[in-house]
Amino acid sequence: MNNNFVELKNISKVFPNIVANDDVSIEVKQGEIYAILGENGAGKSTLMSILFGLYEPTSGSIYIKGEKVKITSPLDANKLHIGMVHQHFKLVDNQSVAENIILGIEPIKKKFGIFPKVDIENANKDVALLSKKYHLDVNPTDLIQDVAVSTRQRVEILKMLYRNAELLIFDEPTAVLTPQEIESLLDIIKSLRDSGKTIIIITHKLDEIKKIADRCAILRKGKLIDVLDVAKSTTKEMASLMVGHDISLQIKKDDKPFGETVLDVEKINTFNKDGVQTLKDVSFSVKKGQILAVAGVSGNGQVEIADAIAGLLKTSSGSILLNGKNINNLSIRERLEEGISYIPEDRHNVGLLLDFTLSENLCLKQYYKEPYCSKHGVLNFKKFDEISNILIDNYDIRCGEEKAKTIVRSMSGGNQQKAIIAREIHSNSDLIIFVQPTRGLDVGAIEIIHKRIAELRNAGKAILLISLELDEIMSLADTILVIYGGEVQTIKDAKDLTKERVGEYMMGVHKSC
Amino acid sequence: MNNIIIESMAFTLPLFIIAIGGIFCEGSGVINLALEGLLGMGAFFGGLIVAAFTSTFIDSQSTLVYISLFSAMVGGALFAMLYALIVLKFQANQVISGVVINMLSVSLTAFLTNQLNISLFNQSSNKFMLFVFPRVTVPFISKIPVLGAFFTDVYVFEFIIVVVASFMAYLLYKTPFGMRLRACGDNPHSVAAAGKNVTRIRFIAILISGAMSGLGGICFAYSISTNFSPSIYVGYGYLAIAAYIFGNWKISNTLLACLIFGFARSIGYFMIQKLSLPSSYSDLVLTFPYVLTLILLLFFSKSNRAPRALGEIYDKGKR
Ligand SMILES: Nc1ncnc2c1ncn2[C@@H]1O[C@H](COP(=O)(O)OP(=O)(O)O)[C@@H](O)[C@H]1O
Ligand SMILES: [Mg+2]
Repeated sequence: MNNNFVELKNISKVFPNIVANDDVSIEVKQGEIYAILGENGAGKSTLMSILFGLYEPTSGSIYIKGEKVKITSPLDANKLHIGMVHQHFKLVDNQSVAENIILGIEPIKKKFGIFPKVDIENANKDVALLSKKYHLDVNPTDLIQDVAVSTRQRVEILKMLYRNAELLIFDEPTAVLTPQEIESLLDIIKSLRDSGKTIIIITHKLDEIKKIADRCAILRKGKLIDVLDVAKSTTKEMASLMVGHDISLQIKKDDKPFGETVLDVEKINTFNKDGVQTLKDVSFSVKKGQILAVAGVSGNGQVEIADAIAGLLKTSSGSILLNGKNINNLSIRERLEEGISYIPEDRHNVGLLLDFTLSENLCLKQYYKEPYCSKHGVLNFKKFDEISNILIDNYDIRCGEEKAKTIVRSMSGGNQQKAIIAREIHSNSDLIIFVQPTRGLDVGAIEIIHKRIAELRNAGKAILLISLELDEIMSLADTILVIYGGEVQTIKDAKDLTKERVGEYMMGVHKSC
Repeated sequence: MNNIIIESMAFTLPLFIIAIGGIFCEGSGVINLALEGLLGMGAFFGGLIVAAFTSTFIDSQSTLVYISLFSAMVGGALFAMLYALIVLKFQANQVISGVVINMLSVSLTAFLTNQLNISLFNQSSNKFMLFVFPRVTVPFISKIPVLGAFFTDVYVFEFIIVVVASFMAYLLYKTPFGMRLRACGDNPHSVAAAGKNVTRIRFIAILISGAMSGLGGICFAYSISTNFSPSIYVGYGYLAIAAYIFGNWKISNTLLACLIFGFARSIGYFMIQKLSLPSSYSDLVLTFPYVLTLILLLFFSKSNRAPRALGEIYDKGKR
């Protein structure tokens, strides 16, 4: 008898148009942290959904503690003490933390001896106890809609613990968190392991695996490539196994001096809808051939900077000059026509029309102009597809067999992002704003996008890069602006700053201008 | 004054129970514009049962009125099953399906009433006659000034509605079923992940809305015209929708909304009488609750929040 908690044997899963898992076999030992690494679309979520009973495998079998089992619904998984935190949380916003946790297995008490009633008092008590035991720090009576993303995630963890899960599956748990929150989540995961739980974590962030995992399975295009002992392997090894070729995140930048000023932001102020000031007298400028990166802890005003420039947010005072022209009072479309491209943070809601085709999305910036639209206002879809096919080839956007007619929702995150970037770059603007351009993407996709950004810079574009990833900022930026509490802390040449120093500015430790 | 209260409660409570049905349905995430059709179909069933039974063997009026309430609920639920089939099984657009159910209900009940009257009872009529619903006055309490009016000349069905409504509120807010139902309206995936069947919960919610509408419908038939005829379709179903939207999909607030509509209506009638306006003005008064609806919605619809997953077709695989 071995001490494997789970054995997946020869699992295959075929979706109508794709083989998501191809003969995958893995064994997870009791009490270990087992990482599953793979690019977007490698089949990680599918594999775990099979283990959790959301999908049925096309073939293959599952053994739990040495016994062959059939898991056809999450209910079966619960009974086998398997729990899962999904990539997209499955929480009810307008119910309390405790109500979310007990959903489906509500404790009951009888009112007047006959009417069964959800025993919420008891549930609150149990949840508070559990939260304390695992140092999860949630308040059972808070409404989900009022708590932060990291708290919601802890609610999902509590949901599993409340069901006495022994095997906890995390699907890309850190994708939605800030660096500090990631640290504390990793600590939580470690302490869960130390209290005897078995953990499977899906991720494509190599440093996290290095930090917490004992072993790591690597999936590529649905196939199991290798299982590594994390302590004995380097992140470089893991990365190249994951994408199938060597990765270099080294950026090639030439040393040409910057050109003339493209964007000049002077003393802008903004307020949110509750009247709280979000930007205070922010000034900076971006020149041709310069990458200005804005660093800061999430929610300190970086998104407001981008939105103010793109025209999504009104400034209360100050001016924004593009190529010397004041664009403060222009509409969004007028600003775009003046030469701004914007790659927004929220690609699903702001960047794309998910249920439209790829070609419609690619032409979103030009559809109203000739030749996409005739003088009489009739759209020319042939032209849409023509230009889209060129972009698809040039930017290596991987879509389904329908090519330009693929519905964007069905594409992977990395390819959706490539599509947005292709569209924005194609309009040949002087200023390109990137907000979190590689959020949620795997190393392969990050490599491609970083190369693109550097190319654009070398071609003389002015680039404003807003990112929460310090590594990204350090490797791309010419100049770094750090923002804290809506105020510019410093603007310095990237060569004069270390990562640690930027981190200090981000926490508002000191200020120099 | 007493008359206004008596009149408006007889209107408010049936409207309230229909709105509760709507809250169940929409609370589970399914848009329900079909209330109008469901209440009509329920009333039709109730009326049919009364007509069939009086002409055959039962002539105890007092039993029959209660049987008719029950059969109206069954009729409403049965017709709601058709709606459930369309929107859950075939996943059709819920707005259009609701409107279709309403139109179908109007023409189907008109056709069936005529046909059944001819073939079963040998008379040509577009109505089923009902009895006068018994009214009671609660001793002692009814003597209290003003408040007493709420206990004077009350249709027995009003008590039944209060009991049913209390039970529905308990079901929605206190039981596991109600909790899951509300969860379906906000994020059905959470319910599926908890191992429960979203479609089944929604199916039951739609049936409940049918039964409640049926009950409300037959009560309207009793209190307004003492018969079932196509004149039942004057838009009370839509008014019920306005009531729960205005009530922010919560049962307690919806009661308040229904009370406002009920009183607005009776006060309007009262004024016509008082000012001795010609009866043609009563049509104008009928618009009173609707105008009020428009005004109230203008103010409240911004702050109110519909269930988050309302109208979204539930798709397991959607990411
Ligand atoms: N329900 C589904 N129907 C069809 N294809 C799917 C479905 N779920 C996932 N896929 C496809 O299967 C592949 C693997 O997806 P997934 O397991 O989500 O990848 P990962 O989690 O590794 O990013 C992708 O190409 C994806 O488009
Ligand atoms: Mg995934």
